[in-house]
Order: sequence, then C-alpha cells, then structure tokens
Amino acid sequence: MATNAVGLFHAPSTALVAAGELKGAGFARPSLMSPVPIEGVEEVLGKKRSAIKNFTFFGAVFGGIFGFALAAGTAVLYLHPTGGRPIITIPPFLIITYEMTILFGILATVLGFFVSARFPAIRERVYVPETAVDKFAVTVVCEDDDIFRRAETILRDAGAEEVRKVTEDGG
Amino acid sequence: MSFIDVFRARWRAYREPGYIYGDEFDGARRDYAEFDYAWTMTIDLDRCTGCEACVTACQAENNIPIVGEAAFAKGRQMQWIRIERYWEGEYPNIKLGFIPMMCQHCDSAPCETVCPVSATYHNQDGLNAQVYNRCIGTRSCAVYCPYEVRYFNYNSHVWDAPLGEQLNPDVSVREKGVMEKCTFCIQRIRQAKDQAKDDGRRRVRDGEVQPACVQTCPAEALIFGDRKDPESRVSISMNDPRAYRVLEELNTDPSVIYLKKVADDAG
Amino acid sequence: MPADDRNISYADVNRDVVRSLVETGRAYYITLATAITLTLVFFFFPWFYQLFYGLGASGINHPSVWGTYLASFIFWIGLSHSGTLLSCVLHITNSPWRKAMYRSAEAMTLFSLIVAATMVMVHLGRPWFIHWAVPYPNQMELWPNFRSPLLFDVMAITTYLTGSTIFIYMGTIPDFAAVRDRTSGWRHHMYVLLSLGWRGTDTEWHRLGWAYTFLAVLIIPLAVSVHSIVSWDFALSIVPAFHQTIFAPYFVVGAIYSGTAGIVTVMFMLRKYMGFSRYITELHFDNLGKLLLVLSLIWTYINVLELFTAWFSGTSTEYEALTYKLFGYYAWLYWEMILFCALAPLLLISTRFRSSFVPMLILSIAINIGMYTERFLIVGTSLSRQYLPDAWGVYVPSLVELSILAGTLALFVTMFLVFVKIFPSVSIYEVKETLPEPQPESETGVPEWQPTQ
Repeated sequence: MATNAVGLFHAPSTALVAAGELKGAGFARPSLMSPVPIEGVEEVLGKKRSAIKNFTFFGAVFGGIFGFALAAGTAVLYLHPTGGRPIITIPPFLIITYEMTILFGILATVLGFFVSARFPAIRERVYVPETAVDKFAVTVVCEDDDIFRRAETILRDAGAEEVRKVTEDGG
Repeated sequence: MSFIDVFRARWRAYREPGYIYGDEFDGARRDYAEFDYAWTMTIDLDRCTGCEACVTACQAENNIPIVGEAAFAKGRQMQWIRIERYWEGEYPNIKLGFIPMMCQHCDSAPCETVCPVSATYHNQDGLNAQVYNRCIGTRSCAVYCPYEVRYFNYNSHVWDAPLGEQLNPDVSVREKGVMEKCTFCIQRIRQAKDQAKDDGRRRVRDGEVQPACVQTCPAEALIFGDRKDPESRVSISMNDPRAYRVLEELNTDPSVIYLKKVADDAG
Repeated sequence: MPADDRNISYADVNRDVVRSLVETGRAYYITLATAITLTLVFFFFPWFYQLFYGLGASGINHPSVWGTYLASFIFWIGLSHSGTLLSCVLHITNSPWRKAMYRSAEAMTLFSLIVAATMVMVHLGRPWFIHWAVPYPNQMELWPNFRSPLLFDVMAITTYLTGSTIFIYMGTIPDFAAVRDRTSGWRHHMYVLLSLGWRGTDTEWHRLGWAYTFLAVLIIPLAVSVHSIVSWDFALSIVPAFHQTIFAPYFVVGAIYSGTAGIVTVMFMLRKYMGFSRYITELHFDNLGKLLLVLSLIWTYINVLELFTAWFSGTSTEYEALTYKLFGYYAWLYWEMILFCALAPLLLISTRFRSSFVPMLILSIAINIGMYTERFLIVGTSLSRQYLPDAWGVYVPSLVELSILAGTLALFVTMFLVFVKIFPSVSIYEVKETLPEPQPESETGVPEWQPTQ
C-alpha cells in the first residue's frame, strides 16, 4: 500500500549524502539498498542496536547448561562404573558442555539474525534489482504525490541517476 | 531428609569412584573394595609348562571360532587366553618363559571409559563385562587395552559339522563386527551364584566355581577365587612373595596376579 | 591491496559468477560422470563388499585394529580445518585477500566433514548401529557413554558440521539474491528460496555483519577444539606412542597445515577450470604460501619435540616406538613424510616459487600426501609396537582399504563439482568490496545490465 520513492546512485557516498538530506528534510527513516555493505551509514542515519548479541549470549548459556545436564543426567540414569572413574566425571563432561555451548550459541545467533532483520521476507517488499549489481539505492516512504515530488527533487539534486515510484504490495 | 540433603548426598556419591547398588542406595557410598565378590586369578609361572591346554579348554567352553591357519597368519587369531613365550639367554643356556595372558579384569580398566555405547563396563563382581549386543565395533577398547587381550570378529564364523554339536548352549555365538574377550567364564559364575541362592546359602564356596582354564590346567598353575574371602586359596596365594602384576606401573589395578621366582643371578 | 589494473567492474563480477553457474560445457559433464563412476566403483562397491563380508576385507589385524579408515577420517577432518577456520580467522583480522577464495574453502570444509563422517561408518564393525552413539531417548533407556573420547568426537563433529553449514549459508545469502535475478527456471526458483527475500537494505547488511562476526568468533574455538578432540581419541589411551600431551597442538597444526595445502589445490582448479583467473591471483598464492611455510615450520618443530622427548627417555616403550617408526618396517614412509612435509616446503622461502601456480599445486599435493602418511604412521606404527612384545604385529592395508581411500577422493570431487554449479563459488559481494567504486554509466548512456524477469 505504501508508495516509495527510490533514487538510484552509482556511488555509495552520493547515496549516503542523499539519505542524510532526506532525513534532514523530515522524512521517515530512509533505507539504503546496496550490493555491498556501505561504510558510514550509522553516522548519517543514526545508530542501530542489534539484539543479536543477546540471542547469542542466552543461547550459549542455555547450551552450556543443556550440555552438562545431558552428560551428567544420562550418566545417573543407568549407573554403571567405567574404568574406576566416578559416575559424574568433570573433565569429559566439561568438553560436552563446551561443545553444546558453542552449538547453541551458533543456532541462537542465526535465530537472532532472522528475528532482528525481520527475515525471511514473507510480504512483497520494495526491491530494486539493480542494487544487486552495481547501483546504490535510497528508498523512502511517501504518503502522497506531493511528498513524492519533494523527495524526487531532493534525490535529483543529490545526483540520482534515476528516480522511481515503487508501490509495496501489502498483505 | 530434605531434597537438598538427598541431592547433596547423591552428588557426593556419584563423584566418588565406586560402585553403587541401585536398589540399596541410601545416600551412602561404597567403594571398590565392597564388591559382591572380587574374582581374582593367580597364575604360577613357575608351574606353567606352556602346554596350552587352557587355550583349548577356553575355546571349547566359550564357543570360540576356529579361524583357520590363513587368518591366524594374517594376525587375526581368536584366543581369549594366549600363552606368551619369552626366551632368555643364548644356547646352551636358554630359558623359556610362558605367560598365560587373558583379560586382566582391571579395576581401573582403560578399555571401559572409551566405549562410546557403554558396551563394556565393570559389574558388581569386579569383572569387566562385555555386552556383545551393544558393541558397534569401534575397536577403541582393543586399542586402549595395554595387554592386547581384546579380540575382534573380522567375519562371521562357521562351525563345520559336526563341530556345531560341541557348542556350549550357555554362551552366545558372536557375529561379525563385535569385540570379545575373556569373561572369567561368567556363565559358570552366574550358575554358581544361582545354585548358592537356590540352596539358601548367601555365598558361593571357595573352589565351587572354576573357569575352564583353571579347571583344565594339568600343572594346577591357575587358581581362581574370591579375594574378599581371606581364607580362599586365591587370597593365600596372592600373598606369596613372588607375586607381581603385569604392567603394574600403568595403574590399571588388574585382578590377575602372577607368581614368578626371579633368581639373584637373573640377567 | 595492489592497484587494480584488472579493470573489473561490479557488473563483471555478477556476470562471471552467474556464467560459472549456468554455463556447463561437455567437459564438465564428462568430469562429473567420471567422478560419479569412480566414486561408485572405488568407494561404494568395496564398502558394500565389506558390509557383507565383515571387516576382514580390510587389512586390520591383532593388534593393529585401527587402520587406514581411521587415518583417512583424521585426514579429512584435518582438511576440513582449512576453510572455515581460516575464513573465520581472516575475517576477524580483516584480511582483504581472503575475499575471493573463502567461499570455496568453506565448501571444502563442509565436504571434508561429510566424507569424514562416511569414513566413520566404513570403520565401524557394525555400522548399522551407529545411531546408538547419538543421544536420543529410546526404548532401551540407554544413553551413550559421555565419558568416552569417541563421544566427544560425535558432539564436536556434529557441532562443527552444523556450524560450518550455517556459516557458509549465511555468507552466501546476498549472493543468492544477486544470482537469482539473472537466472531462470529451476535455478531461479531455487535461488528465490535460498535467498529468503534478501534485498540488500542497510538494516539487513548491518544485522548480517554482526551475525557473521559472532559466528566467526564462535567457530574459531570450535574448530581448534574439534581436532584437539579427535587427537584425544589417541592421546587418552595408554598406548606408548599415543599417550602424549603434544597430540592436541600437533593435530591442530597438522590440520591447518594440510587444510591450507588443500585450499591451494582447490584454488588452482577453480582458477583454471571455472574462469576465475581474474579473481584468484598470484597474491592469493603468495599469501597462502607464506602461511604454509609458517605452518610447516611449526609442524617440523613439533615433530622434533616428539623425537627429542622419546629419545631423552633412554629405554622406555616410547623409545622403542620411536626407533620402530624411524628405522623399522615403515621407515621408508616416515622419511617420505619428512621429505614432503618438512623439507620440500622450505622452497616456499622463495617469493618466485610462492607466486607461481603450477609449482604451488605440485607442492600442495605433495604436502597432503605427506600429511596422509603422517596420519597413517600415527595409527599404524604405534599400534604395532605396544607394551607386550608377544603382541607386536605388522599392518598392511588391503586392496579394499586402498580402493576406499581413492574412493573418498572421488566422492569429495563429486560433491565439489555439484557445489560449483549450485553455489556461487566466489563471493560476489566480498570481491566487490575490494574493487574501486563503480563509475557513472558509460558514454552511451545505456546501463550495462538489464534484469531478466
């Protein structure tokens, strides 16, 4: 339902400047699309905090507890001594704990990525195929045509090669 | 006792090396000295003549396959007890020594910890038990055993008629891919314990159970019994000043004790 | 980074990678068919024979119950340390020269791990029960023995396999998006699914960057632990030549060493046969060569340590195992290993040698042959000489074993051949990061690239 103004640039620096100007002109947070990650986005558009590190941390903690519980818990379920060692031996179980910590840390990081990037995209969203090759795009949401024309002016002044109007399908 | 006390008692018990009887657990720990029985064998090397009657008896009792000359030459022998021969000295002063080597049933067995599926463990009689059904054939127990007494089934075996008639029904026949080793004739031990229970006695008497090798040895070099009983023949023979254990420095605590007189002028 | 006089544009990268995926000539199909046939003939048929007949088909005997299957297992796990570990370390240190080659290196890791897992199944006496080593609730109420070093193996390799798959997939999501736009048919649908709707927004890049860095930080200690754990299969025994604390560093260094040599081989193949000669250059071979030299020196040092400690003991069983290794039945293999892994890599001191492609290829193959020999020696000679002289033996691999060994190589090549046609084998967005910024459209005013949708 939302209409987006999309400006295509050939260089990341010009795209970044245009995004800054759009933000300064009062538009809702513009979004940059690019074939490679752009440096300096945070300075212009504001710092992003990602929740991924929380996912990783709690995943790793859960993995550690799970690993030790798995090893020690299954050892006491059916008691049979081996090699004169105690039933709950610490060095081998620590290794199991370590591996499970890393496994669940990894899985939690992936989950965190999907959740915080709101990914995979189920709804059809604004997409500019040229940005997968060599163009850098700035998109911003425009409620009506006047706003769209204002955005278009700002983009062209900043050096956009092309400005498009793209409608995002809802639902 | 509150939950915390029970938890603490159990944690302490599980952290001690030892055997815990499942049903009789009451938070107390028992250590390895308190097995049901502690089966031990002493082998008098000064009596052993190297006749290998024990090897034959073991083969007969435990359904050990006859692998054939070709397989034996390839190093695929199957003998749960083997006679090791060592020569000392030069002709004409050669001394020949024989060491019957079978599973030592170590109390700190290196083979038990490494089995990934728990196919080998230490049972309440102090025996190292091998569970054929559970073995998946990683052969790590054979690698970890310093005495090299574990043997692997490289293929399934056939007993040509009429050798099949000789198989012992108390012992299973192992398929390919499974490890096996000396069990101190656990089928005879079980039978003796069952007999003792039926008779209303609590303990198996000394001399009542003998593995096939002990029963057969013509020189009576092998003595078998329960070392928890201080008056058994094996306990007395253990205290012989000639006693030693093979590879004692590896701290495996074997249950097989060898008796050998070492002369003062030995080389 | 050297001044880019190769004149590659962003569009060129997309085009080259898509071309590598889509264009398959007859040569490719013939190679693939050959690889599949060789895998069937040399790997699967002998293995089925062994499943039917028993492990007697191999050359193992008493006391050498571990043979080339386990040596191959360690070798392939070692090779797996190339890609992911190297890729993660170079990512953390922001190395630019990693960009073109790390995707294929990570694929190498994945396929090496899969081949190593198959070697475990070949090695077992009753592989149809291998699932008992996995902890799952079952009717028997039995769980695996977590005190066992082999169980550490199971946990570590599962974690490493999962981690490597996730790592390579996460890094490829933007590339799947890039190639989905230029392909059609079944490929297009596959890439639509695999790219999960990636659009390249700054939010997505930011999150991906963080997730990728966290994964890299997690995977480095994991990779070090995996091969240490594999070494502890040996070091936790009391076999004289196994029971050494140096085994964990020895194996990890050896793994990275043979893995890096494997990367050199794969990079050569990619360069020559997939048309990536503009992306994989002398610089990459030069840097890999320097890394190989350092690793070979460390490896030589550890070997000298082992020799020294065994010799210093005087008359122990370790000394006996040492003299057997150096002068016994397998002596020729030991000296061949020293030649290929300690002496030949000294050629890498010369910059000219490091930057030449074919000599590096030959050296990398020689290093891997030497490293396989090292694994074989560790398994074969140590078990042949243990504590009791009556139980000494000699181990000679059988034809079935050697054939399966060749078959694992064919299996690996088959998987890799399928990979290069499905995955973009050079990372598009990372290579673009090393190129200069794209210039405005050409004089004709026509954009260089049109979407095909």
